Order: sequence, then structure tokens, then C-alpha cells
Amino acid sequence: MKRQEAAVVADTAFEQLLNLEMEMATFTADWLHCDQLSNYVARMVSHDRRDPLRHSNLLSSALNELLEMSFRSDAQEGELICVFYRHEQIERIELSFPCPSQQRRFYSVLVEDLKHNGQLANYVEVIADETAPLEQAVLLGLAVNYDADIELRTSTADALTFVVDLPLERLLH
Amino acid sequence: MTPNSSSPVFTTQFDTGNQEFVATGVLRPRSITDIADDLLLLRDKIETVQGVFYVNLKRVTHMNSTAFRALARVLVDASRSRPELRIVVLTSSVVAWATQLFRHLSELSPNISMEIYDSAFYPGQTFVENKSFIPILRTQTKMTWRHEREILPRHGLRSGMAIADICCGIGDFAMLVRKEFDPARIVALDHSMASLDYARSVAEDFRVRDIEYTYGDASQMLFEGDQFDFVTCRHSLQIFNRPELLLRELYRICKPGGRVYITNEKNSHCLGEPRADSIQWTYNEVAKLFRHFDMDVEMGPKGSRLLLDTGFEDVRIESFMVTNLDGDPQEFADVIEAWEDVYAGEMSVRRGDSPEFVARFRQGFRDHIFAALHPRGYAGWPIWAASGQKPL
Repeated sequence: MKRQEAAVVADTAFEQLLNLEMEMATFTADWLHCDQLSNYVARMVSHDRRDPLRHSNLLSSALNELLEMSFRSDAQEGELICVFYRHEQIERIELSFPCPSQQRRFYSVLVEDLKHNGQLANYVEVIADETAPLEQAVLLGLAVNYDADIELRTSTADALTFVVDLPLERLLH
Repeated sequence: MTPNSSSPVFTTQFDTGNQEFVATGVLRPRSITDIADDLLLLRDKIETVQGVFYVNLKRVTHMNSTAFRALARVLVDASRSRPELRIVVLTSSVVAWATQLFRHLSELSPNISMEIYDSAFYPGQTFVENKSFIPILRTQTKMTWRHEREILPRHGLRSGMAIADICCGIGDFAMLVRKEFDPARIVALDHSMASLDYARSVAEDFRVRDIEYTYGDASQMLFEGDQFDFVTCRHSLQIFNRPELLLRELYRICKPGGRVYITNEKNSHCLGEPRADSIQWTYNEVAKLFRHFDMDVEMGPKGSRLLLDTGFEDVRIESFMVTNLDGDPQEFADVIEAWEDVYAGEMSVRRGDSPEFVARFRQGFRDHIFAALHPRGYAGWPIWAASGQKPL
């Protein structure tokens, strides 16, 4: 499903599965939280998918990328909120985390760039370029390797929300 | 990366004989410095080899972008500084993110390629994936289940357990276990999408929603360790060319104190009366035929040794004979006929056997069917069931 169609289906079509909230300071106290949270949550969300084990493995990989990105946010005050939705073959992750305005602008540019053609070529370039920002590799990687549709919302003045639609069920079969 | 008590485990090593860098576990470092030693090992070892350098990532269950980019850069740099070297990254078809990620490396360097390893791992699978074989597999399970439902409790199966049926095929055994032993959780894994599709469709027809079917490589499973109280692997170790690898995986996913249950045949001991000599000759040849394709259908009695060698304790082994007298003799005959089609009709032909050999080979199966359907006849198919406990 293309971004525009998804927008039409919109939020009402997505059923909420899970809502996870955590103090950002608690989350960033240990890097292992990214791995642990992504595995734990992916297992729960995937339990009724066609192949729960592989779906969970794939979802955990994608979610971990997002969590690691939020872990690197320059802001520590506030909450990390991770909400999961599902519509048919698509898992939607809405990940909100505190983020300073300069960093928000940086992410906006990256997400805007995803809408242009040449994602694959850009991604291949970024893989080998150690000067390219990690965030760019993460977002392009999600778009190219997971067929993700990625949107950005500014939820509050000092927070940012990534809305990421992942058609994982289709990727697995 | 140095593992501590709560870190996911990640290890790397180099196999000089195979020119293979092997990584295992979860690779999610915070920064490149966390995996500096592993990258250094990779860089150093690439310098020591000629020809083909293998990067085996089949057992890496997770990898983040930080690690992927660092690994990619080492490989790309090596492919540029040593253009005569071919670098092959081995991944598993089960781990979807890995095949998605590593396909890009060939775009960075023509000397790097990705190979999906496990498609070549199962020598016996191609012979039984044909959909026409499904009714026979169902009949076989029905015939063995008459015995196994009595045998399984002697090997420790109780209700309320977490069970994994590895190499579950069309899933009928998992369905029977679910009904008879009411597990707390049951997972069924196989490497055949076609078999799993069938298993899921049967489950759907019967409104069974609590069996987790999963596509997987039994030698490199995605399950975390110490998960299951009872792990079954029936009639499958005998058709793998490296059964010890599978046993290690069965051991790994079994909880300490849990048990692994295996069944295997000894085909040369299939028997029948009348026409015993012809039957015996053919089944001796069956054993040799499978050996030609790197499978050991004589494995049954070796179950005890295999389990002990893997580290299991309290090993129990027993045999049972499926016979034409267990139920409808025609079912037994149908199974033998299917064996004839596959063994004589496909495998023997693929080995390049002469028409005369194939004709004699077929005759033994025909005689086994004759014995099974004879009013005073007897036909048998012996199976060994063994189990061992993972030490506490």
C-alpha cells in the first residue's frame, strides 16, 4: 500500500495493539534497553501473525533501529512513547521521544528526502560512506529493506513522532 | 563485544580450513568500538586467504545499522585492496532482514556476493515435498501414532508442557499431540513452505489457532535457548547429512531438565512374510540408496549413542513395529507403494541405476505389499524412539 493510500485508510483503519510509555532518562540509562524492548515487544505484537517467530525477528530488527535512533536523541527530559497498530498486512509503529528543535529539523530533512526517487542508490551510497549520518542509514534502511513508509509528526513543542508502516507479513511470504 | 550477564551474546571466530569467518548471536553494538576486536579479526583474516573468503552470518539473529555499515566497509575495502579475492557472505533464508541487508553488498563491489545457504542443506527434502506425497505422510503418522501415543509418556511427555516439534512436516503430529497432551504451548517448525502451508490450512479448517507454525532451518533455529520442556524430531535426523548439528540445536532450545525425543528407522529391518528374501534384499538396497544421498535410514538403534554424544542424560530407547495388522492392511500397502514410487521411481533413477536393478528393487516393494495384503501374511516397519534429558 502506497503512502497516499495509507493516508486515506488513515488512522481509523489501524487497530491499536500496544502502548508503551517510559521515562526517557530510564530508557537511555542502558543501551541494552533497545535490544530488550524491541525483542519483548516484537514477540507480543507478532504472536498471532502467520509465522510468529520470523515476524517477531523481523519486527524486532526494524523496531530496534528506531529505538536506537531515539536513544541517541540529544534530549533526556520527557517520555518515550511507543504505540503499535495493525491494519491487515501492515504493522504501524508510532514512536515519540523528546527531541530538540535543531534535531527535529534534521530528521524532517531526512524524512523529506525519502519521498524522492533513488532511495536504493542513496542507501547503497550511505552504507559505504562512514561520514554519512547514522540516522540517514537507519531511515533509508527501513525504507529500502523493510519497505517502510515513514512520516514525521511534531507532537509537542519538544517532542517528535515517527510514524512507520511496515508491511512485514508481505515481506515474509 | 564483551558479553556480560545481561548482554546478548555475540561471538566471532575464524575457521582456517574453510577460510570462513563465522559470527554468531546478536550484533547490536552502540558504537563501532564495541566490535573493534571482531572487525580486526575479520580484517586480519581476509589478508591471510587466497581464492574465496566466506563470511558466515547464518547464526546472527540480529544486526543493527552500526554493525552492518562497519562490516560492509571492511568487506568493501578488502575487495578493493585485493581484487583477486572473492568474498561470499552466507546468510539463511529464514532470517529475512539478513537477506534484505546483504544483497546490497554486490552493488558496492562485484567481488562480494551473498549466498542463501540453507536451501542446499536438506538432501532428503526434495524427495518428499511433492504434494502427492502428503496423503502418505498423513497415513504414516496415523500408523505410528497408534504406538507413539502410548510411548510418549514413557519419554516424559505430560500435559501442560511447552513443546516444539522440529521438522514437523505437514504438522499432523503436532495436531495429534495438541489434542492428546494439551500443551501449554506448541510450536511446529519446518523448512518446507509447502508443508507449512498445508499444516496451516488443516489447522484453519479445524479452527485450531494455538499451534505456532514457523518456517525455519532446524540446524540454525531462531528460538532462544532453554525454551521447551519437550522437543520432538521425528523421522528427520536420518535424512540430514549432519545430524549432530541438529541434535545440538535440539539440545540448545530444550530447557534444562526437559527432554528431546527422536524417532528414526532402520530400513534394512523392514520385513515381511511370505517372500521374505525379496523384501529383505530391497530394504538392504534402500539403506544403500539413502547412504548414496548422504542420509542414514539405518539410524534408529544409534539414537542412544547420538543423544549421549550430544550431552543428554537419562537416555531411554525402545523400538516398535508398525505392521499390517495394526489397522487397515491397505493403509500399510499404500505407504509401501508410495515408498516404491519415491525410492525406485525417483531416487534410484537419479542415482543412475540400470533398468534391471530398478525392476528388482521395485519387486521387493511389490512383495512387501503382497505380504501386507495376504490373509495370512505379515509385514513390518520397525522404528526406534529415543529420548534424553538435558542436564539441570
